Amino acid sequence: MQFTKLKGGTKGKVNAMSLFKGPMHQHIPGHKDLTETKEVRVLKPQQWVYIPLYAGHSTDFEILVHEGEHVYAGTKIAVCNDRIVVPIYASVSGTVRGVQKLMHATLKTQDHLIIESDGKYEMRQAFAPLDYQRAGKEELVEFMMNAGIVGCGGAGFPAYMKYKNVKDIKKLIINAVECEPYITADYKMVQSNLDLMVTGVLAMKKMAQAQSCVIAIKKTHPELIKQVQEAVANIADVTVVSVPDVYPMGWERTLVRHLMQADYKRLPSEIGAIVNNATTAIAFGNALINGMPIIEKTVTVSGDGIKEPCNVRVPVGMQVKEITEACGGYTDEEVKLIAGGPMMGKTIVNDQFVVDRASDALTVLKIVPYKDVACLRCGQCSDHCPAGLQPVRIAQSLNAKDKAMMERLSVMDCIECGLCTYVCPSRLDVTENVRKAKRQMQLAKK
Amino acid sequence: MKFTFNPAPNLRQKQSTKRIMLELMLGLLAVFAFSVYFYYDEYGTDVALQCVLLMLISLAVALVTETLWALFTRQKLIPFLSGSFGWITAIILTMMCPVTITPYALGIATFFSIFIGKLLFGGFGQNIFNPAAFGRAVIFASFAGATTDVITAVTPTTLMATEYNWLVVDPNMISKLMTQVGGLDNLFVGFYPGAIGETSALMIMIVGVILALRKVIDWRIPVIYLCAVFVFASVIAITAGMSDWLWYPLFHLFSGGVMFGAVFMLTDPVTSPTSAQGKCIFALGAAILTVLIRVKGNYPEGVLYSILIMNMLTPMIEKATDGKQLVVRKKSAVIFAVIAALGAGCVSLAASVIEPAKEKVKEKVFVKLDDPYLSTLQANIDSTVDNGDGTTTYIVTAQGFAAVEGPNMPNYDHPTDPNVYEIIVNRSDNTVKSVRVTKMSDTEYIGDKVESPKFLSQFEGLSLASEFEIEVNDAVTGATYTTKSVVRAVLEVRNALGF
Repeated sequence: MQFTKLKGGTKGKVNAMSLFKGPMHQHIPGHKDLTETKEVRVLKPQQWVYIPLYAGHSTDFEILVHEGEHVYAGTKIAVCNDRIVVPIYASVSGTVRGVQKLMHATLKTQDHLIIESDGKYEMRQAFAPLDYQRAGKEELVEFMMNAGIVGCGGAGFPAYMKYKNVKDIKKLIINAVECEPYITADYKMVQSNLDLMVTGVLAMKKMAQAQSCVIAIKKTHPELIKQVQEAVANIADVTVVSVPDVYPMGWERTLVRHLMQADYKRLPSEIGAIVNNATTAIAFGNALINGMPIIEKTVTVSGDGIKEPCNVRVPVGMQVKEITEACGGYTDEEVKLIAGGPMMGKTIVNDQFVVDRASDALTVLKIVPYKDVACLRCGQCSDHCPAGLQPVRIAQSLNAKDKAMMERLSVMDCIECGLCTYVCPSRLDVTENVRKAKRQMQLAKK
Repeated sequence: MKFTFNPAPNLRQKQSTKRIMLELMLGLLAVFAFSVYFYYDEYGTDVALQCVLLMLISLAVALVTETLWALFTRQKLIPFLSGSFGWITAIILTMMCPVTITPYALGIATFFSIFIGKLLFGGFGQNIFNPAAFGRAVIFASFAGATTDVITAVTPTTLMATEYNWLVVDPNMISKLMTQVGGLDNLFVGFYPGAIGETSALMIMIVGVILALRKVIDWRIPVIYLCAVFVFASVIAITAGMSDWLWYPLFHLFSGGVMFGAVFMLTDPVTSPTSAQGKCIFALGAAILTVLIRVKGNYPEGVLYSILIMNMLTPMIEKATDGKQLVVRKKSAVIFAVIAALGAGCVSLAASVIEPAKEKVKEKVFVKLDDPYLSTLQANIDSTVDNGDGTTTYIVTAQGFAAVEGPNMPNYDHPTDPNVYEIIVNRSDNTVKSVRVTKMSDTEYIGDKVESPKFLSQFEGLSLASEFEIEVNDAVTGATYTTKSVVRAVLEVRNALGF
């Protein structure tokens, strides 16, 4: 299929000039050149691997292995007891050494299964591959669930949920936007796994029974666009679409709004769209063809706080400390170590945490002190909020402890993308205020 | 190794509030520099320096007030001053004042705007009213007469308000008004006296565009405000029945504080709504009030109070537009449309009840020969000289009128020295060749108006054989009496000739 020039391109500009709302997004310097052109380094853990027993919001896992048991890379080690079932697999071969509570990339302590690697990385096919062309829709959803595919866009939500009980899907949107600054892991994954991605995409398209499929890539990456275009050139109803280099273009809602010029209440399937990350499609393709779950991750290690920014491919559960050491260490005695990108990733106060299935980046930044001044009520935060919220008013409601006002301001719809803090000229922690308001609302509900 | 905690996100854009204020200040100073140049060019160095002096005084008062407040409330001085932005208020306030304002009035107004307008509300970010507008209102209320006479000139706004009632339909008067203000192009460029920084619409527009592009000000407020003022003024012009009406909305845009208010005052983020929709409603409301106050209010200019009133309504607008912006957008559009319709209704109603300015037609006053007053005046032909060319020169003394009693005429009825006229008559047809005043004793500046050639030329060619009447030169009472004095002298010659 040929590359379609985006219809929404000019409309997006008109929207940005809209009288009654702000642009709802913002270009942020990406610094992607730090890692985009470099080879992906393959790293292996020295001895210990800590597999997080965590998926989405589920923490209630039944562990299938016992201490001292030998496992292979690909051995199923735990299943979730929640209604959302996503099994967890070992990422290295070695011996199970128990379970320990450790700091997780989400800034909460979680149970981690400790495996002592034997250094051999012996793999076992985790489950039987599946020919998506022969399999039915239900079968594919079931397969995706059992393969432990989680959304690789950052939230780590089980991917199969999106395909359950959906109908009238017009568009499957494959998200290769990667709107967070510094991160290039998705690009690297796509470039080196084009075949797997195409398989995953076609299977997903079948599961969704979608009329068409678009792969969204930022227009600032023409090389990647060209490569993907060539890969899908002969496939009907699958096209590449370029999107503007703005944040948070990769957020489901912003992407759907841009591509379909429509809004939805809760889920994009309401207006006939399903959005999945390109890396998720690759993981799914890998599961279908090779019978392997996500046991390896490509992670961007970047920022001005790391000596040798690059992409690394590591087994899930590898400690960050080992990765940063392999990247030449830190540039300063005091840095911010962020699990994820600089906008939504959380700063972790040690480097003992591990790479999880949903991890795609480690951003290390130097400390830049900012002096804040009083809020001048400029409304930049409201203008840029991709969810259309009004952070400045939310801050006022927080000051006034006015829960009714918080409710009216739809505080809970905040996705904490961080754009309000980014644009705030008074250097206030706007997003943090909204988080506090969210917390108050949650407490009030309990 | 230390890993610092910081709530996400961990990136910041470059633009800071301090930079916004700095760029705003540069924009203001560019406009100010234009004005100073104008006053230098038009009135000389003294007046230009007066502008600078006023600015310095306002800045000094602002600085002192804020310093004392910081000391009094025990805040660290430098961080407080650099985060309070008092100088912006001082600059804007100075630029809203005419150059004729006395420095002490400006100083006191600055104190009021900083102290009461801002600090008492809780400082920068907390104030309800635009501090500079607040200070300007103080001057309006308390220092209306506190002006110096460095220059005396009528501003286009005052002229339009006092002499033209903000509504002119008569094409002759429109062209007269345009001549008085130097045309729309002069109004646009700003080469006329007015409030120091408000005159040059052109300069303010250029600065406004740059500031909007640099995201120092929000483009919505000036664009909507100016467009709405244009539309509502057009509604008035059309309702009032102007045939060629385009000049009228443009006059509204280019005169007074509309452009300055749009770019520098309504855009004050602290006192305007935060959301895009709120800003639109805010600007629309301000435009309606500006036009209404101008055409129907007692003040010559409506910008200031429209800003203050809309500042007051800001919390209400904020509350009305609370919620998810994409959802509230429809509600906002309805509010906007309703207000726009109401505004159009109000201004057209106003336009239909205002009397358009009319040319003051002066009633012509004539002195006729049967005027009873003439007979009470004494007159005497002092000499008669035949000029040898068919004309005769009569030197006639006739009584006049003066407010002050003259020494030689103690008669209270006509308490003045008599006036002396030289009247030359063509003997062939008994017509007057010329009348000249040789001695004028009537009240200065009033009586002596009869000496104008325009008045005296009325007599030339006048046939003494028939009745005649003379138009009074100026309908001032004293002049009427003096006119009668001249007529009395001519009548004396007529009598002498036997008619």
